[in-house]
Amino acid sequence: MATELKRIDANRLLVPKGYLTGMRTDGMIFVDEVLQRDLEKGSIEQVANVATLPGIVGNSMAMPDVHQGYGFPIGGVAAFDLNEGVISPGGVGYDINCGVRLIRSNLTKPDVMPKMRELVESLYTSIPSGVGSKGRIRLGERDREHILLKGARWAVEQGYGERADLEHCESGGCMDGADPSGISAKAYERGKAQQGTLGSGNHFVEVQYVDEIFDEAAAGVLGVFPNQITVMIHTGSRGFGHQVCTDFLEVMGRAVEKYGITLPDRELACAPFSSSESRAYFAAMKASANYAWANRQCLTHWTREIFYSLFRMTPREAGMTLVYDVAHNIAKVEEHRVNGVDRKLVVHRKGCTRAFPPNHPELPVRYRPIGQPVLIPGDMGRASYVLLGTHKAMNETFGSTCHGAGRLLSRHQAIRQAKGRAIWREMEDKNVLVRAAGRETLAEEMPEAYKNVSNVVDVVHNAGISKKVARLRPLGVIKG
Amino acid sequence: MSHNTDTIMKEFSIIDVSGDIGISASGATLGELFANAGAALYDLMTDVSSVRTVVSRKFSTSADTCDGLLVCFLNELIYLFETEELVGSRIKVMSLDESECSLKADVHGERFDPERHERRLLVKAATYHKLRMEQREGLWYAEVIFDI
Repeated sequence: MATELKRIDANRLLVPKGYLTGMRTDGMIFVDEVLQRDLEKGSIEQVANVATLPGIVGNSMAMPDVHQGYGFPIGGVAAFDLNEGVISPGGVGYDINCGVRLIRSNLTKPDVMPKMRELVESLYTSIPSGVGSKGRIRLGERDREHILLKGARWAVEQGYGERADLEHCESGGCMDGADPSGISAKAYERGKAQQGTLGSGNHFVEVQYVDEIFDEAAAGVLGVFPNQITVMIHTGSRGFGHQVCTDFLEVMGRAVEKYGITLPDRELACAPFSSSESRAYFAAMKASANYAWANRQCLTHWTREIFYSLFRMTPREAGMTLVYDVAHNIAKVEEHRVNGVDRKLVVHRKGCTRAFPPNHPELPVRYRPIGQPVLIPGDMGRASYVLLGTHKAMNETFGSTCHGAGRLLSRHQAIRQAKGRAIWREMEDKNVLVRAAGRETLAEEMPEAYKNVSNVVDVVHNAGISKKVARLRPLGVIKG
Repeated sequence: MSHNTDTIMKEFSIIDVSGDIGISASGATLGELFANAGAALYDLMTDVSSVRTVVSRKFSTSADTCDGLLVCFLNELIYLFETEELVGSRIKVMSLDESECSLKADVHGERFDPERHERRLLVKAATYHKLRMEQREGLWYAEVIFDI
């Protein structure tokens, strides 16, 4: 049996079943030769480890932005049979439904440039971010449960945004089947003051302009045009989702023993999908996903308010509608065709974005002719992308693609390299205004700390699992 | 800073991992190891030397294994930070039952105040990733990676 990595083509690297004892299937990493140079051995091992889990269907896969995570790699996708397979909190990640949304506008770059500094300052003061920041929303007893059941719809009902926003969220901004009764008191407590907060680390609100269009027809459908101002928001379920993950890693740790599952790594803790432990986790995960959709919806509302007041525009004039909202840390039951047979599978995407093809019933009617919008944030200095899902993704990757640039340097390495440099000034020299709450956030998040997102996007585009529509460049960024 | 065994001392260091960050701590006893690991966690969050001892907060926790107990203990400190904004200047492990894998601890510190306390990392969870805990030549050592 082959034990060595094998290059299949320019964009695919096979991790054969023989690479690690116990693998039930091959691993497949989408990387070209350039990105392969940055591929950590630990990431390859994690792709192989996931292939050992019971009931895995198809390959254990990783996207070109892959890096080492806990248990599952970040940038990984794996699907499991509903009867024979498992669900694993490690395959979703701590920040459940960490995701990205993109808001368009009728404004152009020349419209906002004179007020950029004021805009960034206003966003920074209005959107709670960073260590120890408090949300503007206080949740009552009823709200706490309603958020978990309704997701972004809860936020819209409270006046944060518009009903039309919901249609342009993955899953309509709410997963059915969330169960508030399975949530620990601790998770509620952590979630109480964090609804409507950005968090820290790589989370951001970014004002961008459309720098290049690759597919004019699709861009037209998305309402995107050259030099247009867009806003990208990247955040998740905050402490709430983290506590749910922490709680269920304990539950799953015990389940592994109970069901006699052998694991190469404790963070892969899982349980048969049909077990009571899995049902409880899945319902709690959905509740966390809904918390995250509500969070991004609240941040969207405040962002719009700032634009309306600063540029003295009505909502209609500003045209700040939601292009789309994607989750990139989530597990979902989906139908996929495997070897000619339609099967329901539980698909884990961790640092990986759903990329459904044209005409998929889950897409909003408006986007059915073109496919699902996929939003790929890059680092704060270079670029972000809008892509579309493809049939090839559906056939090869369970309708999945990359989620971002992927880290290159550890946080400490980045801080070391940034020593003595004023990152904010370097960014201003590149015409990007930045504000961050944390002293070291900018150093950790400096562009060199990440792979070049354009290389990552080229791999998924060339492999045919996504299609490029537009490139966005940053103008102003707030971080936690 | 005083030098009682339950006082936060620099008996720890930072471990580098791509994307996240870890700590390595040591102690003469398990209790001291836990207290030092907790101190390392607070050091990731803020400059501990600026934290005054104003309030104290007791808690207990348990786990299935001893190294798991360390993860649970650290997650408890993260929970107290996120819900009560408590940052510790001093941690005392009151009792630690190795066979039961349970402990009682007391954190002394104050509410996080962004005006006075430096904002460092928002640590969101202690993980089992590459978790290590061992006794060597009479000292306890541990390594824990955090999700941030």
